[in-house]
Amino acid sequence: MKAFILSAEELGRLVTEWAKSGAVYAPVKVKDWSEFRRISSLAEADLTRVNTKLSARSLLFPQCETMFRFETSHPDKAQLAAEPVPQVILGVRPCDAAGIAVLDKFFAGQGETDTFYRRRRDKTILVGLACQVPDDTCFCTAVGGSPAGTRGLDLLLTDIGGHYVAEPLTERGEAAVKDMNEAAAADLAKKDELASKATAAMAERIDTRKLKELLDTADTNPVWGELSLPCVNCGACTFVCPTCHCFDITDETRKDKGARIRVWDTCQSCMYSQHASGHNPRLAPAARFRNRTMDKFRYTVDQVGEVSCVGCGRCIRECPAGIDIRETVERLMLALGEQSADAMQTADCKMQKAK
Amino acid sequence: MSREEQLRKRAKELLAKKEVVMVICYRAGKRPGTATPAFVTRPDGADSLVFDDRCGMNLAAYLPRVKHLGRIAVVAKGCDSRSLVTLLKEKQVTRDQLLILGVGCEGVKEKGKLSDACATCAYPNPVICDEMIGEKVTEPPPAPDPLADFEKLTPDERWQVLADDVSRCIRCYACRQVCPNCYCPTCFVDTNSPQWVGKTTAESDNMMFHLMRAMHMAGRCVECGSCSRGCPMGIDLMRFNRKVAKIVKERFGATAGLVPDEPPALAAFDPGDKQEFIQ
Repeated sequence: MKAFILSAEELGRLVTEWAKSGAVYAPVKVKDWSEFRRISSLAEADLTRVNTKLSARSLLFPQCETMFRFETSHPDKAQLAAEPVPQVILGVRPCDAAGIAVLDKFFAGQGETDTFYRRRRDKTILVGLACQVPDDTCFCTAVGGSPAGTRGLDLLLTDIGGHYVAEPLTERGEAAVKDMNEAAAADLAKKDELASKATAAMAERIDTRKLKELLDTADTNPVWGELSLPCVNCGACTFVCPTCHCFDITDETRKDKGARIRVWDTCQSCMYSQHASGHNPRLAPAARFRNRTMDKFRYTVDQVGEVSCVGCGRCIRECPAGIDIRETVERLMLALGEQSADAMQTADCKMQKAK
Repeated sequence: MSREEQLRKRAKELLAKKEVVMVICYRAGKRPGTATPAFVTRPDGADSLVFDDRCGMNLAAYLPRVKHLGRIAVVAKGCDSRSLVTLLKEKQVTRDQLLILGVGCEGVKEKGKLSDACATCAYPNPVICDEMIGEKVTEPPPAPDPLADFEKLTPDERWQVLADDVSRCIRCYACRQVCPNCYCPTCFVDTNSPQWVGKTTAESDNMMFHLMRAMHMAGRCVECGSCSRGCPMGIDLMRFNRKVAKIVKERFGATAGLVPDEPPALAAFDPGDKQEFIQ
């Protein structure tokens, strides 16, 4: 598809136009960070920061979502939540968009799909913004991404200094900008130059290629006991993660009326794996820590064919104990790479007692 | 010898002589300006230990998780030592399970700025310890009351300030998990039969969680600020804690985490306690 060029004013007019027929979300400054909020004009957006506090996932898979309402006296009359309104999410960073592509595999892939996610996803246009200066927590290139990655997006914008090069990636993306001027060769060259610069600026060089193979036989490795010690098992990393997608379902009723609501859940909570029998297979904090790491780099590879870490760095930034997933990976590679098969027999995930 | 060298040397000795099974301290994080708790069990591991203004996590929070391993050495700044006192009072740990390595603290930094909790700290030196590593620091003059502005507001305005703040809560429970006081095997928010507190992030559910948690901190919270620093959403959790601590001080004359032998303020009865609320 051919690329277009937009001035900031033209982008502003597009936003105003989009806002007339649906909701437009963009990063907006909140305290000393930014978050996706509904905007009515581009002036409200803050496109200068690398990543929002929470990922764009919450606009497709909200933390709390009413699935349907019911009346206990009329169980046949459950009312499905209203259809979502069309939305444009502007300023999605490539890592977040890659995260949405991963969520798509779980919620809107082959076979069974998730109604609530699917309905929102079908009405969403993702307008990305290429990164130019990575944060000290960014590592997308280590997990197959790129600061100018296009995966999951409908349209990618690159700020080439007052103007944006707009590359449509889907028909929806193309329809959104088709009336704009076509980008000149010089604009495209500038965009490519910025993309290479941004990639070169990515300091992180961890190699995760062998990790899956190593993790496949690492269930009972004592390294988990050691690595997990600083982890307090809060859910911060899972809630800020663009690809974590576990949820719990709860009914809220008053007299005979109620709503069935789903809320984000986290594998770091001991309630997550609590069985009705009272048994909890993942009571040890180390086992919960192991689960998240395994999930990102092993389980989802088995399930959907890819690592589910997109390198956005949010878990690093928000961990209250200062745990850095890049370091976890490095230490795992080192420990597991050095282990012989014999040494892997000791199960020491019970190093810490449950809290 | 610098304090860091002394710390490493002492940790190494303790582990080599098997006086303790583990030293809990900090090591530098991968990102510049950050530190992460370190759990050293071998003498050579002590070489990476650090203690400076990056070391904000309250290390007492880890004791309930590792105390079964044997005697543990904990590096404790003023607030950590007060949390240890709370744990001792509440019989979560016994004195002989601990070897407290005290360090004076001039406040920890968050994103380059002095942490809010540290700005009002009255106990920068450990209140109990087995040995000091380095010198004590000078006690600061009393800080102005951080609640002064909040208390000038009307009850409705105060509610609004709290509601706005907790509206950002994502219920990740980082505040609870980093807190040395939160050692309950099952938290009230995690019980589901009955479900005491709703799981959504609606104002009523979030407020219920934070108000109930604040109540559970009465007479126990040492105002270390770990919850506020740990909160990914920047909620001023210390506002709740400071208010509760202030009320306990005014009503019962008690300050948390100072004297191990004194019973917890809310677990003790004194005929002189103010109790006009039941009249």
